[in-house]
Amino acid sequence: MENEGRRKFLGVCVAGATAAAAVAAGYPVFRYLAPRSGQGGAAKLVIPAGELKEGDAKFFEFAGSSAVLIKTKSGELVALSAVCTHLGCIVQWVKEKQQFQCPCHGGQFSTDGTVLGGPPPRPLAKIPLTVTEGNITIG
Amino acid sequence: MLKRLYRWLDLRIGVGEIVEKELTGYLLPRNINEWYSLGSVLLVIFALQVITGMLLMIYYVPDADKAFKSVTFIMNEVPFGWLIRLCHAVGSNMMVAVLILHMLSTLLMGSYKAPRELNWVTGFTLLALVQGISLTGYLAPWSQLSFWATTVATNSASAVPVVGPYLVEFLRGGKLVGPPTLGRFFALHAAVLPVVIAALIGAHLFLLKRTGISAPPFGREGTANPFEAQQYHYQGHPGGIPFFPNYALQDLSSISIYFAIFLAVVFFWPGMPFTPDAFVPADPFKTPAHIKPEWYFLANYQTLKIFPSELLGLSVQAAAMTFLALLPFIDRSPERHPLKRPVFLTLVIAGILLWIALSVWGHLS
Repeated sequence: MENEGRRKFLGVCVAGATAAAAVAAGYPVFRYLAPRSGQGGAAKLVIPAGELKEGDAKFFEFAGSSAVLIKTKSGELVALSAVCTHLGCIVQWVKEKQQFQCPCHGGQFSTDGTVLGGPPPRPLAKIPLTVTEGNITIG
Repeated sequence: MLKRLYRWLDLRIGVGEIVEKELTGYLLPRNINEWYSLGSVLLVIFALQVITGMLLMIYYVPDADKAFKSVTFIMNEVPFGWLIRLCHAVGSNMMVAVLILHMLSTLLMGSYKAPRELNWVTGFTLLALVQGISLTGYLAPWSQLSFWATTVATNSASAVPVVGPYLVEFLRGGKLVGPPTLGRFFALHAAVLPVVIAALIGAHLFLLKRTGISAPPFGREGTANPFEAQQYHYQGHPGGIPFFPNYALQDLSSISIYFAIFLAVVFFWPGMPFTPDAFVPADPFKTPAHIKPEWYFLANYQTLKIFPSELLGLSVQAAAMTFLALLPFIDRSPERHPLKRPVFLTLVIAGILLWIALSVWGHLS
């Protein structure tokens, strides 16, 4: 009976040590594989205002994702997320129609991001911007 | 829960039968000793090399322009990247060391003798392949050390008569070590050799299962029924100790001791696998002053320096390796106790001393 207890105790010890070893080996591997934090790109971006003509769009990386800056025919500046809210493709700027079109499933968005047609459930997310001395600061 | 799963599997695929045959009913010689667990240790090391190697491949770039930078990135930027890389680099050294010990125990206990010639030959081939995988992996970081060690190692093939110079160029993929060399060495290191080594390990284990474990020639009275070369015969050990749990526990303690040593090196002697040249990017126009191979190649390196002609030096090495590889076919006496084989024992000890002396000489010169 005493032997049985010892066997159980040793079993628990071995199980505990194995679990500890697994954690000790697993944690570094997890950290090694985990996406590196702080790699999402700058959260603020400055674009010279002269870079953009009226009716044009400029795509760029913003906070680890794709974004677009457009200057409407009326001269208004809008920054939007370029990720389609349907299934995550990157929308394209159709200059002639002055609207965004998603090549994946035909989603359409207006210059301010509202859905004009197609399957997207939500408008494109807006990104705040400020204009100072010819520089457009996004974010 | 576990018991129910076991029963579920047993009803379907007869797990119990396998456990009975391969684990609890797999009897080993009663006088088996610790040295027999080195094979299991080697299996663990190989598995660890494969896992750490796969992990390193996530960040490593096998491109001459980017390799050094990617290794620096792994060491300095990736969380625990240093740990993964050190485990891989130290592990390769330890694999060679344990492999040598495994072979020495086989030599001294005479387990290479009939009917186990094939076990020895596959094991010996594994030693050569492990040296090959170490050499090809050495180039991967594209440091000065990598570059010049590979230059020297591939250059020794030039001593082969007639085709030598072409052979060197073929190995390197060019006249000198360069980006094409990295490509082919990386493919060998990460794709070809691991598969071949794994297959040979499989063959080695298969042979072990077919011949049965050899009993040590000393210690407690053996349980073996000796081999007679009339027909195939599995050497069983009736009345021996079961592999599970008895010898599995020995395997586990050997593996634990190995890990203690391995991790002590990783954490307290992280510079072990490196010389200062390992931290300088490869420069094809600047040979470092004292370029030396890894410790397990030092004896070969010194041999090449001693002999006046490279061809002679290489031939001597090739002869020594061939002699060792064919040992079971040369040494045919059935006696296995080392003390009853004085000539053999003297040769082994002299061989080890010669190897150590050459290595030390190579290191100091």
